[in-house]
Amino acid sequence: MTAREPTALEREIAQLVIDTLNLEDLAAADIPPGQPLFGEGLGLDSVDALELALALQKQYGIRIESDAKDARSHFASVASLAAFVEAQRDACAN
Amino acid sequence: MTLLRIEGWHAWAPGLAGEAAWRAWAQAPRALPDDGKEQPACEFLPAMQRRRLSRLARMTMEAAWPLCGEGEQLPFVFGSRHGETPRTFALLGELADQQPLSPTQFGLSVHNAIAGQWSILRGQRGESVALAGEADTFEHAVLEGAMQLAAGAPAALVAVAEELPPPAYDGWIGDVPFSYAVALRLGRVEPSMDTSADARWRLRLAPAAGAAAPAPWPHALDFLRALLTGQDTLEHACKTRQWNWQRPG
Repeated sequence: MTAREPTALEREIAQLVIDTLNLEDLAAADIPPGQPLFGEGLGLDSVDALELALALQKQYGIRIESDAKDARSHFASVASLAAFVEAQRDACAN
Repeated sequence: MTLLRIEGWHAWAPGLAGEAAWRAWAQAPRALPDDGKEQPACEFLPAMQRRRLSRLARMTMEAAWPLCGEGEQLPFVFGSRHGETPRTFALLGELADQQPLSPTQFGLSVHNAIAGQWSILRGQRGESVALAGEADTFEHAVLEGAMQLAAGAPAALVAVAEELPPPAYDGWIGDVPFSYAVALRLGRVEPSMDTSADARWRLRLAPAAGAAAPAPWPHALDFLRALLTGQDTLEHACKTRQWNWQRPG
Protein backbone atom coordinates (compact mmCIF):
# COMPACT_ATOMS: atom_id res chain seq x y z
CA MET A 1 0.00 0.00 0.00
CA THR A 2 1.40 3.36 -0.96
CA ALA A 3 1.58 6.21 1.51
CA ARG A 4 2.02 8.99 -1.06
CA GLU A 5 -0.62 11.63 -1.66
CA PRO A 6 -3.13 10.62 -4.34
CA THR A 7 -3.02 12.51 -7.63
CA ALA A 8 -6.00 14.54 -8.79
CA LEU A 9 -6.98 11.78 -11.22
CA GLU A 10 -6.73 9.17 -8.48
CA ARG A 11 -8.99 11.23 -6.23
CA GLU A 12 -11.44 11.62 -9.10
CA ILE A 13 -11.46 7.89 -9.77
CA ALA A 14 -11.89 7.07 -6.07
CA GLN A 15 -14.94 9.35 -6.07
CA LEU A 16 -16.22 7.69 -9.25
CA VAL A 17 -15.94 4.29 -7.53
CA ILE A 18 -17.93 5.58 -4.55
CA ASP A 19 -20.63 7.27 -6.65
CA THR A 20 -20.96 4.45 -9.16
CA LEU A 21 -21.14 1.66 -6.60
CA ASN A 22 -23.20 3.59 -4.06
CA LEU A 23 -20.66 3.20 -1.24
CA GLU A 24 -22.51 5.65 0.98
CA ASP A 25 -20.31 5.55 4.07
CA LEU A 26 -17.02 6.19 2.23
CA ALA A 27 -15.18 9.31 1.09
CA ALA A 28 -12.52 9.43 -1.63
CA ALA A 29 -9.82 9.77 1.05
CA ASP A 30 -10.92 6.39 2.48
CA ILE A 31 -9.71 4.57 -0.63
CA PRO A 32 -5.90 4.85 -0.76
CA PRO A 33 -4.63 4.61 -4.37
CA GLY A 34 -2.74 1.41 -3.65
CA GLN A 35 -5.50 -0.44 -1.81
CA PRO A 36 -6.78 -3.52 -3.64
CA LEU A 37 -10.33 -2.83 -4.84
CA PHE A 38 -11.44 -6.45 -5.01
CA GLY A 39 -11.45 -9.34 -2.59
CA GLU A 40 -9.66 -8.67 0.65
CA GLY A 41 -9.19 -4.96 -0.04
CA LEU A 42 -12.25 -2.78 -0.49
CA GLY A 43 -14.33 -5.92 -1.06
CA LEU A 44 -15.76 -5.30 -4.52
CA ASP A 45 -16.93 -8.18 -6.71
CA SER A 46 -17.32 -9.02 -10.39
CA VAL A 47 -20.61 -7.14 -10.84
CA ASP A 48 -18.91 -4.06 -9.41
CA ALA A 49 -16.15 -4.52 -12.00
CA LEU A 50 -18.69 -4.47 -14.84
CA GLU A 51 -20.36 -1.41 -13.35
CA LEU A 52 -17.04 0.35 -12.94
CA ALA A 53 -15.99 -0.45 -16.49
CA LEU A 54 -19.20 1.14 -17.75
CA ALA A 55 -18.66 4.24 -15.60
CA LEU A 56 -15.04 4.63 -16.81
CA GLN A 57 -16.26 4.25 -20.37
CA LYS A 58 -18.88 6.96 -19.88
CA GLN A 59 -16.66 9.36 -17.96
CA TYR A 60 -13.38 9.05 -19.87
CA GLY A 61 -14.53 7.69 -23.21
CA ILE A 62 -12.22 4.70 -22.94
CA ARG A 63 -13.08 1.21 -24.02
CA ILE A 64 -12.20 -1.80 -21.91
CA GLU A 65 -12.43 -5.05 -23.78
CA SER A 66 -13.85 -7.70 -21.50
CA ASP A 67 -11.49 -10.32 -22.93
CA ALA A 68 -8.40 -8.16 -22.54
CA LYS A 69 -5.83 -10.18 -20.66
CA ASP A 70 -4.68 -7.24 -18.62
CA ALA A 71 -8.15 -6.02 -17.61
CA ARG A 72 -7.70 -7.70 -14.25
CA SER A 73 -4.49 -5.82 -13.52
CA HIS A 74 -5.98 -2.49 -14.62
CA PHE A 75 -8.73 -2.96 -12.03
CA ALA A 76 -6.43 -3.89 -9.16
CA SER A 77 -6.49 -0.49 -7.47
CA VAL A 78 -7.34 3.18 -7.94
CA ALA A 79 -3.68 3.79 -8.83
CA SER A 80 -3.70 1.15 -11.60
CA LEU A 81 -7.02 2.45 -12.95
CA ALA A 82 -5.59 5.98 -13.03
CA ALA A 83 -2.51 4.73 -14.89
CA PHE A 84 -4.75 2.90 -17.36
CA VAL A 85 -6.92 5.99 -17.96
CA GLU A 86 -3.77 8.09 -18.52
CA ALA A 87 -2.37 5.53 -20.96
CA GLN A 88 -5.63 5.40 -22.92
CA ARG A 89 -5.78 9.18 -23.07
CA ASP A 90 -2.21 9.32 -24.37
CA ALA A 91 -2.98 6.62 -26.92
CA CYS A 92 -5.99 8.59 -28.15
CA ALA A 93 -4.00 11.82 -28.30
CA ASN A 94 -1.38 10.30 -30.60
CA MET B 1 -61.73 -19.51 3.87
CA THR B 2 -58.46 -18.90 5.63
CA LEU B 3 -57.82 -18.45 9.31
CA LEU B 4 -54.55 -16.95 10.48
CA ARG B 5 -52.92 -14.91 13.18
CA ILE B 6 -51.09 -11.63 12.69
CA GLU B 7 -48.11 -12.26 14.97
CA GLY B 8 -46.40 -9.00 14.15
CA TRP B 9 -46.34 -6.08 11.75
CA HIS B 10 -43.90 -3.40 10.72
CA ALA B 11 -44.22 -0.72 8.08
CA TRP B 12 -42.45 2.19 6.45
CA ALA B 13 -43.59 5.20 4.43
CA PRO B 14 -41.97 8.61 3.87
CA GLY B 15 -41.93 10.49 7.17
CA LEU B 16 -43.62 7.61 8.95
CA ALA B 17 -41.44 5.24 10.94
CA GLY B 18 -42.13 3.56 14.23
CA GLU B 19 -45.21 2.08 15.83
CA ALA B 20 -46.48 5.33 17.40
CA ALA B 21 -46.38 7.17 14.06
CA TRP B 22 -48.27 4.35 12.34
CA ARG B 23 -50.90 4.20 15.10
CA ALA B 24 -51.45 7.93 14.68
CA TRP B 25 -51.71 7.50 10.89
CA ALA B 26 -54.24 4.67 11.36
CA GLN B 27 -56.44 6.95 13.46
CA ALA B 28 -56.31 9.74 10.87
CA PRO B 29 -55.07 8.32 7.56
CA ARG B 30 -53.76 10.88 5.12
CA ALA B 31 -51.70 10.97 1.96
CA LEU B 32 -48.02 11.44 2.79
CA PRO B 33 -45.69 13.73 0.85
CA ASP B 34 -43.22 11.59 -1.11
CA ASP B 35 -40.27 13.25 -2.84
CA GLY B 36 -39.20 9.91 -4.33
CA LYS B 37 -35.90 10.17 -2.48
CA GLU B 38 -36.48 9.61 1.21
CA GLN B 39 -35.65 6.04 2.06
CA PRO B 40 -35.01 3.97 5.19
CA ALA B 41 -31.42 4.00 6.42
CA CYS B 42 -31.33 0.20 6.96
CA GLU B 43 -28.51 0.70 9.43
CA PHE B 44 -28.80 -2.92 10.53
CA LEU B 45 -26.81 -3.68 7.36
CA PRO B 46 -23.15 -2.79 6.70
CA ALA B 47 -22.73 -0.22 3.90
CA MET B 48 -21.16 -2.78 1.57
CA GLN B 49 -24.34 -4.87 1.80
CA ARG B 50 -26.62 -1.88 1.36
CA ARG B 51 -24.99 -0.71 -1.86
CA ARG B 52 -27.20 -2.77 -4.19
CA LEU B 53 -30.47 -2.21 -2.39
CA SER B 54 -32.87 -0.05 -4.36
CA ARG B 55 -35.30 2.23 -2.59
CA LEU B 56 -38.05 -0.41 -2.80
CA ALA B 57 -35.65 -3.06 -1.52
CA ARG B 58 -34.67 -0.86 1.42
CA MET B 59 -38.31 -0.23 2.23
CA THR B 60 -39.00 -3.97 2.14
CA MET B 61 -35.94 -4.81 4.29
CA GLU B 62 -36.84 -2.10 6.78
CA ALA B 63 -40.39 -3.43 7.13
CA ALA B 64 -39.62 -7.14 7.23
CA TRP B 65 -36.30 -7.15 9.13
CA PRO B 66 -37.57 -7.04 12.73
CA LEU B 67 -40.23 -9.70 12.08
CA CYS B 68 -37.73 -12.50 11.51
CA GLY B 69 -35.65 -13.64 14.44
CA GLU B 70 -31.92 -14.32 14.24
CA GLY B 71 -31.42 -17.87 13.10
CA GLU B 72 -35.07 -18.29 12.17
CA GLN B 73 -35.97 -19.74 8.76
CA LEU B 74 -39.31 -18.40 7.49
CA PRO B 75 -41.05 -18.55 4.11
CA PHE B 76 -41.03 -15.11 2.50
CA VAL B 77 -43.73 -13.69 0.25
CA PHE B 78 -42.97 -10.45 -1.59
CA GLY B 79 -45.94 -8.74 -3.17
CA SER B 80 -45.85 -5.66 -5.36
CA ARG B 81 -48.34 -4.78 -8.06
CA HIS B 82 -46.10 -2.36 -9.92
CA GLY B 83 -42.60 -3.28 -8.83
CA GLU B 84 -39.75 -0.84 -9.31
CA THR B 85 -41.25 1.60 -11.77
CA PRO B 86 -38.52 4.25 -11.25
CA ARG B 87 -35.83 1.71 -12.13
CA THR B 88 -37.77 0.33 -15.10
CA PHE B 89 -38.41 3.82 -16.41
CA ALA B 90 -34.73 4.78 -16.08
CA LEU B 91 -33.61 1.62 -17.91
CA LEU B 92 -36.15 2.20 -20.69
CA GLY B 93 -34.87 5.76 -21.02
CA GLU B 94 -31.31 4.52 -21.43
CA LEU B 95 -32.43 1.99 -24.03
CA ALA B 96 -34.27 4.73 -25.92
CA ASP B 97 -31.11 6.86 -25.84
CA GLN B 98 -29.08 3.84 -27.02
CA GLN B 99 -26.97 4.02 -23.89
CA PRO B 100 -25.45 0.90 -22.35
CA LEU B 101 -27.43 -0.43 -19.39
CA SER B 102 -25.97 -0.61 -15.92
CA PRO B 103 -25.28 -4.30 -15.22
CA THR B 104 -26.41 -3.89 -11.61
CA GLN B 105 -29.64 -2.11 -12.51
CA PHE B 106 -30.41 -4.59 -15.26
CA GLY B 107 -29.52 -7.59 -13.12
CA LEU B 108 -31.83 -6.47 -10.33
CA SER B 109 -34.71 -5.49 -12.60
CA VAL B 110 -36.63 -8.72 -12.07
CA HIS B 111 -39.62 -8.99 -9.76
CA ASN B 112 -38.03 -11.56 -7.48
CA ALA B 113 -34.78 -9.60 -6.99
CA ILE B 114 -35.86 -8.24 -3.60
CA ALA B 115 -36.92 -11.69 -2.37
CA GLY B 116 -33.50 -12.92 -3.49
CA GLN B 117 -31.73 -10.10 -1.67
CA TRP B 118 -33.76 -10.91 1.46
CA SER B 119 -32.68 -14.55 1.30
CA ILE B 120 -29.01 -13.58 0.90
CA LEU B 121 -28.98 -10.87 3.57
CA ARG B 122 -30.92 -12.95 6.11
CA GLY B 123 -29.39 -16.32 5.24
CA GLN B 124 -32.82 -17.72 4.34
CA ARG B 125 -32.67 -21.03 2.53
CA GLY B 126 -36.39 -21.82 2.34
CA GLU B 127 -39.31 -20.84 0.15
CA SER B 128 -39.68 -17.39 -1.27
CA VAL B 129 -42.32 -16.11 -3.66
CA ALA B 130 -42.63 -12.84 -5.59
CA LEU B 131 -46.15 -11.89 -6.66
CA ALA B 132 -47.64 -9.17 -8.82
CA GLY B 133 -51.41 -9.00 -8.96
CA GLU B 134 -53.97 -6.28 -9.32
CA ALA B 135 -55.23 -3.86 -6.66
CA ASP B 136 -55.70 -6.91 -4.39
CA THR B 137 -52.08 -8.04 -4.60
CA PHE B 138 -52.04 -7.72 -0.80
CA GLU B 139 -54.78 -10.33 -0.35
CA HIS B 140 -53.13 -12.69 -2.82
CA ALA B 141 -49.85 -12.31 -0.95
CA VAL B 142 -51.49 -13.04 2.40
CA LEU B 143 -53.22 -16.05 0.85
CA GLU B 144 -49.84 -17.28 -0.38
CA GLY B 145 -48.43 -16.83 3.11
CA ALA B 146 -51.38 -18.75 4.56
CA MET B 147 -50.69 -21.58 2.13
CA GLN B 148 -47.11 -21.72 3.41
CA LEU B 149 -48.56 -22.13 6.91
CA ALA B 150 -50.88 -24.85 5.65
CA ALA B 151 -47.87 -26.57 4.12
CA GLY B 152 -46.27 -26.78 7.54
CA ALA B 153 -44.37 -23.54 8.14
CA PRO B 154 -44.63 -22.36 11.77
CA ALA B 155 -44.85 -18.75 10.58
CA ALA B 156 -44.55 -16.86 7.31
CA LEU B 157 -43.50 -13.34 6.32
CA VAL B 158 -45.54 -11.31 3.87
CA ALA B 159 -44.12 -8.01 2.65
CA VAL B 160 -46.07 -5.78 0.29
CA ALA B 161 -44.27 -2.73 -1.08
CA GLU B 162 -45.02 -0.12 -3.71
CA GLU B 163 -43.04 2.85 -4.90
CA LEU B 164 -44.49 6.12 -6.12
CA PRO B 165 -44.17 5.83 -9.91
CA PRO B 166 -42.49 8.46 -12.10
CA PRO B 167 -44.91 11.09 -13.52
CA ALA B 168 -44.85 9.31 -16.90
CA TYR B 169 -47.12 6.67 -15.35
CA ASP B 170 -49.81 9.21 -14.41
CA GLY B 171 -53.08 7.98 -15.81
CA TRP B 172 -51.99 4.35 -15.71
CA ILE B 173 -51.12 3.82 -12.07
CA GLY B 174 -53.68 5.26 -9.68
CA ASP B 175 -53.34 3.14 -6.57
CA VAL B 176 -50.00 4.26 -5.15
CA PRO B 177 -50.62 7.60 -3.41
CA PHE B 178 -47.16 7.40 -1.81
CA SER B 179 -44.41 4.82 -1.40
CA TYR B 180 -45.00 2.31 1.36
CA ALA B 181 -43.99 -1.10 2.64
CA VAL B 182 -46.07 -3.22 5.00
CA ALA B 183 -44.75 -6.48 6.43
CA LEU B 184 -46.81 -8.99 8.38
CA ARG B 185 -45.72 -12.04 10.26
CA LEU B 186 -48.43 -14.67 9.85
CA GLY B 187 -48.90 -17.51 12.31
CA ARG B 188 -51.08 -20.57 12.38
CA VAL B 189 -54.23 -20.74 14.45
CA GLU B 190 -54.05 -23.81 16.65
CA PRO B 191 -57.12 -25.07 18.55
CA SER B 192 -55.17 -24.77 21.80
CA MET B 193 -54.53 -21.07 21.24
CA ASP B 194 -57.31 -19.00 22.66
CA THR B 195 -55.41 -16.33 24.49
CA SER B 196 -54.62 -14.17 21.51
CA ALA B 197 -58.00 -13.96 19.82
CA ASP B 198 -57.33 -10.32 18.94
CA ALA B 199 -54.62 -11.28 16.50
CA ARG B 200 -56.81 -13.72 14.59
CA TRP B 201 -58.30 -12.91 11.21
CA ARG B 202 -60.47 -14.83 8.79
CA LEU B 203 -60.07 -14.08 5.08
CA ARG B 204 -62.86 -15.08 2.71
CA LEU B 205 -63.06 -14.66 -1.04
CA ALA B 206 -66.49 -14.28 -2.62
CA PRO B 207 -67.71 -13.16 -6.04
CA ALA B 208 -68.18 -9.39 -6.07
CA ALA B 209 -71.80 -8.30 -6.39
CA GLY B 210 -71.75 -5.55 -8.98
CA ALA B 211 -69.23 -2.75 -9.18
CA ALA B 212 -67.82 -2.04 -5.72
CA ALA B 213 -66.00 1.15 -4.83
CA PRO B 214 -62.24 0.82 -4.62
CA ALA B 215 -60.70 0.85 -1.15
CA PRO B 216 -59.84 4.34 0.14
CA TRP B 217 -56.19 3.32 0.62
CA PRO B 218 -53.98 0.65 -0.90
CA HIS B 219 -55.22 -2.65 0.54
CA ALA B 220 -52.13 -3.35 2.64
CA LEU B 221 -52.34 0.09 4.26
CA ASP B 222 -56.08 -0.19 4.71
CA PHE B 223 -55.67 -3.56 6.43
CA LEU B 224 -52.99 -2.09 8.69
CA ARG B 225 -55.36 0.75 9.53
CA ALA B 226 -58.09 -1.78 10.47
CA LEU B 227 -55.59 -3.87 12.45
CA LEU B 228 -54.37 -0.88 14.48
CA THR B 229 -57.76 0.69 15.14
CA GLY B 230 -59.42 -2.51 16.36
CA GLN B 231 -61.82 -2.65 13.42
CA ASP B 232 -63.48 -6.09 13.22
CA THR B 233 -64.37 -6.34 9.55
CA LEU B 234 -62.98 -5.04 6.31
CA GLU B 235 -64.12 -5.48 2.72
CA HIS B 236 -61.89 -5.06 -0.31
CA ALA B 237 -63.29 -5.49 -3.79
CA CYS B 238 -61.31 -5.85 -6.98
CA LYS B 239 -63.05 -6.62 -10.27
CA THR B 240 -64.90 -9.92 -9.75
CA ARG B 241 -63.34 -10.59 -6.36
CA GLN B 242 -64.69 -9.56 -2.99
CA TRP B 243 -62.31 -10.14 -0.09
CA ASN B 244 -63.88 -10.21 3.36
CA TRP B 245 -61.64 -9.79 6.37
CA GLN B 246 -63.13 -10.56 9.76
CA ARG B 247 -61.87 -11.03 13.28
CA PRO B 248 -63.60 -14.21 14.41
CA GLY B 249 -65.73 -13.54 17.50
